[in-house]
Amino acid sequence: MIPLSDVTPSALNNVTTQFILLHMARANKEPGLGAATCLALVADETAAVHFQFWGSECDSFRPGDIIRLTNGIFSYSGNRNALVLRAGKRGRIEKVGEFTMNYVETPNISEIKWVPEGASGRYVPESVVSPYSRIFPPLR
Amino acid sequence: MAENLLRPQPYLAENPLERTLRESFDTNRRILDPPFPLSIPTPEEYLCLTRAILYSILTEGRTRGIRLKYLHAIVVDGYASFTALTASVVDELFERLLDDAKEQIVWIAGEMVEVGAQGFGDLLVSLLRQVVGGDYGDGNMWLCFEEASLFLRKWSALLEEDGEGRSALCCGFYCFLRLLGDHCRTRWSGDERLSALRQLEIDFCTKMLKEQFSLCMNVGRDLIRMLQDLVHVPEFHEIWKDLVLNPGAFGCPLFSDISQIYRIRTPSRYFLLRLTPEMERQMRFLLTNLKLGGQKRHQAWFWNKFLGTNPERETLVIDLIRFVCCAHHPTKEVLHSDIIPRWAVIGWLLKCCRKNYVEANAKLALFYDWLFFDERVDKVMNIEPALLLMVCSLPQYVAITDSLLEFLLLLVDNYDVDRMALITRGVLTSFDVLTRSGVVPSSDALTSAEGISPPLKERLGALLLRKEDHSAEAHAID
Repeated sequence: MIPLSDVTPSALNNVTTQFILLHMARANKEPGLGAATCLALVADETAAVHFQFWGSECDSFRPGDIIRLTNGIFSYSGNRNALVLRAGKRGRIEKVGEFTMNYVETPNISEIKWVPEGASGRYVPESVVSPYSRIFPPLR
Repeated sequence: MAENLLRPQPYLAENPLERTLRESFDTNRRILDPPFPLSIPTPEEYLCLTRAILYSILTEGRTRGIRLKYLHAIVVDGYASFTALTASVVDELFERLLDDAKEQIVWIAGEMVEVGAQGFGDLLVSLLRQVVGGDYGDGNMWLCFEEASLFLRKWSALLEEDGEGRSALCCGFYCFLRLLGDHCRTRWSGDERLSALRQLEIDFCTKMLKEQFSLCMNVGRDLIRMLQDLVHVPEFHEIWKDLVLNPGAFGCPLFSDISQIYRIRTPSRYFLLRLTPEMERQMRFLLTNLKLGGQKRHQAWFWNKFLGTNPERETLVIDLIRFVCCAHHPTKEVLHSDIIPRWAVIGWLLKCCRKNYVEANAKLALFYDWLFFDERVDKVMNIEPALLLMVCSLPQYVAITDSLLEFLLLLVDNYDVDRMALITRGVLTSFDVLTRSGVVPSSDALTSAEGISPPLKERLGALLLRKEDHSAEAHAID
């Protein structure tokens, strides 16, 4: 289990972490994907990230739920600009509790510009596009 | 394959308690049916068997008679582990249990009272906490009805048990008296089910008041707070008259005047009774982990889950305020940190009130200990949030300060005109203790604050001037 601040973009299904669901957008059906998807803001005590629910996941969670992600993936989904965390085909999510978790809304690792580093191909942060989510702005 | 205990819910992680129960059942399944083994189980085996028996009763209700016989045969600890286990299932899983399992739990509770099991009182308390105020759904009405019947049906057995039984009766009395306040006012009051339930609750509470008044007094001053909400109900009207005019009617030699009850601080355990364990857990998290300013989402989630589901639920605000004032006292570290203070949470709860009578009752809940404050029995932490809410609202929300102060002054003049001296003294002592202990530097914070309406400030000033007279009178009362 790693904190969200340690998650970096990768093509591997190897992200196992835990976070609290802050906000969900309405589910929408993207042409070509088949199942509905739903974009959400999730966070832990170290960082926030955009999470993409898929299919029946969309109706099974609500804000305040504490979710454990096992073998998830943090990568560009749909169009190149959307950097999202999701369970993917090989990962899974489970509700493990609710409410009792602190969180921060900045940094948001989906709002960071990542670039591949030299030969390793590992992604490293290049610049902060926005400190907070531009899709789900913080409550004032 | 073991039968299900819980309603299936997709994407929900396995619950460790449910899993232990199921595994114990699977391990012991073959020896649960007679002929029972003659060997004496080791302590470890005994616990495992206890879990298996509980799981079996909850999931295969038809076998409950035979399972309980087995338990009677092997019991070595006065049923303590069995009742504790059942209470944990109630605390952790009740909402998710299948309906049949809920019925079995209520049955178990009755049986445990009957055998005088160790810990049956805690089990009854766990069940009482699952009845949700302002919830008129079938499941909640059913549970409330079952529990009220259980308390009436097992009346003698409960009275015989000096410790647990009598304490459980007091807890039941607190719960049903409080629930009646809602059940006699709701827009559902014409509902047939609710009428039947209300009659049971009335029967139980009036029986307690008429036959076991000294037990009722254990509840302390909140007994009066709740009873006053029921004066309009015919069955309580007479009792109220006796309470005020004819205290001898209760056959309780120690009781001669209502002011004796005013002076008993309600033990904090009673305030937990009207919160489910989940509400308590979330409220305590809010008050110990979230920074002031960063609590908005959590407050919204709390509201959506517990208060916003239907308009009747807002009555819970009254119980939440009593809980925050009297049953959740922050540590020094929290007090001196940037964690959201209690007064701010109470300010938010008050803002949630839409109905006037709920708001009035919520303010009464906030100030109740002020009215009878006595340094010898009362706690400064119980009255601290009200003053801080008034003072801290001054800069930005002076309307809140105004309405709270006006309410407090109204209480002094009208709450009990025959015992005005006692109440005036309580309120003056509250101001005095709060300034002496440094919660605010002095009452000037209010008397000289800009923004508070001048007539209110004058009335407060006049009240505070009465301090001198009251120190003299106080000695006379004592």
